[in-house]
Amino acid sequence: MRDGQDLMREIVALVAKDLTLLLRDRGGFFFTFIFPLVFAVFFGTIFSRSGGESRKLPIAVVDEDSSADSRAVIAQLDTVAEFDTQGMSRGAAVEAVRLGRRVAYVAFPKGFGEARRRMFYGRGPEIELGFDPSRKAEAGMIQGLLARHLSAQVGQLLSNRSSLRSWIHETEVSVDSSATGGGRRGALRRFLGELDRFTGEVADSTPGAAGDGGGWQPVSFKNVDVARVRSGPRNAYQVSFPQGIVWGIFSCAFGFGLSLVHERTRGTLVRLRIAPISRGKILAAKATACLVAIVGIATLLLSFGALVFGVRATSPALLAIAVLSAAIAFVGLMMLFSVLGKTEATVSGLGRAAMLLMSMAGGGMVPLFLMPHWMQTVGSFTPVRWTILALEGAIWRDFTLSQMALPCGILLAIGVGTFAAGLKVFRWTEG
Amino acid sequence: MTVPATQSHRDTMLRLSDVRKSYGKTVAVDGLSLQIAAGEVFGLLGPNGAGKSTTVALAVGLLEADRGTVEIAGAGGPADPAVRAKLGVAPQALALYEDLSGAENLRFFGTLQGMAGSALAERVRWALEFVGLTARARDRVSAYSGGMKRRLNLAVAVVHDPPLLLLDEPTVGVDPQSRNAIFGNIETLRRQGRTILYTTHYMEEAERLCNRVGIIDQGTLLALDTVERLIAAHGGRSALVLDENGTERRIETEDPAAEVAKLARRGSLPRFRLEQPDLEAVFLNLTGRHLRD
Repeated sequence: MRDGQDLMREIVALVAKDLTLLLRDRGGFFFTFIFPLVFAVFFGTIFSRSGGESRKLPIAVVDEDSSADSRAVIAQLDTVAEFDTQGMSRGAAVEAVRLGRRVAYVAFPKGFGEARRRMFYGRGPEIELGFDPSRKAEAGMIQGLLARHLSAQVGQLLSNRSSLRSWIHETEVSVDSSATGGGRRGALRRFLGELDRFTGEVADSTPGAAGDGGGWQPVSFKNVDVARVRSGPRNAYQVSFPQGIVWGIFSCAFGFGLSLVHERTRGTLVRLRIAPISRGKILAAKATACLVAIVGIATLLLSFGALVFGVRATSPALLAIAVLSAAIAFVGLMMLFSVLGKTEATVSGLGRAAMLLMSMAGGGMVPLFLMPHWMQTVGSFTPVRWTILALEGAIWRDFTLSQMALPCGILLAIGVGTFAAGLKVFRWTEG
Repeated sequence: MTVPATQSHRDTMLRLSDVRKSYGKTVAVDGLSLQIAAGEVFGLLGPNGAGKSTTVALAVGLLEADRGTVEIAGAGGPADPAVRAKLGVAPQALALYEDLSGAENLRFFGTLQGMAGSALAERVRWALEFVGLTARARDRVSAYSGGMKRRLNLAVAVVHDPPLLLLDEPTVGVDPQSRNAIFGNIETLRRQGRTILYTTHYMEEAERLCNRVGIIDQGTLLALDTVERLIAAHGGRSALVLDENGTERRIETEDPAAEVAKLARRGSLPRFRLEQPDLEAVFLNLTGRHLRD
């Protein structure tokens, strides 16, 4: 009669055998250990670099007026932090937008400077904004920023005594030479005269007031710094490493599922079943080996991420819970993979298709927050989505234990459900 | 001398009683009964698809019989892990881990049989030496030739020193050198008193290695006895084939020596050869087909 020590030794032997085979399979080793690491580092680096650039909106600027006014406005646009401006001809600007090199073009047509004198009569200044219709959100943002900065420029004009008086005199000349009707012209002349007088009186009674910009301001904003409780991912690697870990876990589970098919087709399962050890223990050992490998992969990747890229968990305990839950979910999936077909080719094909679809929908390829809403909904049905959420919850989302309960609970349910289903089919097919 | 019932029971290492197994409408084994005594090498001879491997699968518990019972060493059926510990099996399909070395395969399967420590190490060393693979012990199985893999397949079956061996076509697809080596191994095991169930479709192997042979075809055991008795009962008569000036004449006879003497007395004895019946003839007479049809 065998005692507990014998059984433990046998299970350890089964686990050690599977882990040895995993490490000796070069292809499996690459996709389980190396590829996820390369994935995490590669995409982390790409997102890190593009993160700084993405704050600036690349726009083309076309100056067809070449007046002092258009140059002044363009010079101000160059100082706007949100814009990456580049001056070019109209044709080149349209082409740049068409090819996606620039988000939009801003054109100052001929007569822009002159039109600014007609603020209170006739047709006012016009700016042409050309943009890619598929980037409406960015175009709206550009329009808003332009309006804000041009308003600020008008505000500056109205707030500065000398520039305002100069503008009033230029406008008076413009009104006199315009085709505006006699009654309206007279009214405009009186308005400009009163404005000129008012500007002079305000300046005389409050020295420096008109010159320091305190005169005309439709609305002012007071900025208050609020210390953020949630800081979001501190770097792009905190997003890419959970994705890389999911790839590693998936490859590992898939490899173990395939190894069970190998055992069946190459006859070693027959030897295992003839040995004086129960079928339940054989499968338990396979599941344990898969679990150990998954936890090992996650630990390895997280350690590397922490040491080299600062991917540190806000809660190591919750991270351990997340990794264990994900491991259990994918062990269950491994069991289900292994009974999807009778041959390696079938299981391999189905497994890879599942891996691709689940990763795509679940955020294993593209971060979830960049996906359309409907795809995020679809992703909710994949273990990849909950694994990433659980890992991110422990790494940068600052989840509490109760917040972690949802993704981990779903992962555990997936693991138990798929393992039970796989086991049932396995028992049925193995007789 | 009458052997007491209990003694007889204990000496029977494998007993199959009226075993039947079918897959849908296909009957793989039909009412098969046999007993293999301790120390006996029993051959199950039949063509491919006769039901040999199914019989082995039933004997080791890989398949459950639709009807009938399997008993091993008087200890019960193979569903019991403790009973399976008495078995050593070399499946027809090579059942080895290609990415492990020969020694690692033996250590792994030996551990599953409950062995450990120095006892395991000693048995692994012995098994490697037994099949002549000591020099290649550390090489991965994927680097072995087909014959070496077959020998390792046998070594895995014997590494835990089981009293009952089931060898399912252990020489399939091997080169003559490895085949002879495997024959040598089995003869050694026979001398050591191991009980062996040996399935084959090569009559030469059954004749050379087995004490008794069961002829199986289409799931039914047609005959079971020693090779000599099977031939005597079902092999037909011997034949003298005379070469008379380039023309062959065949004389079937119960007593070839007497027939030769008779021809010699007549002074008309030409060149001749003697054809004696063998298991192939037994199978042909029992089924109307050749073993390799």
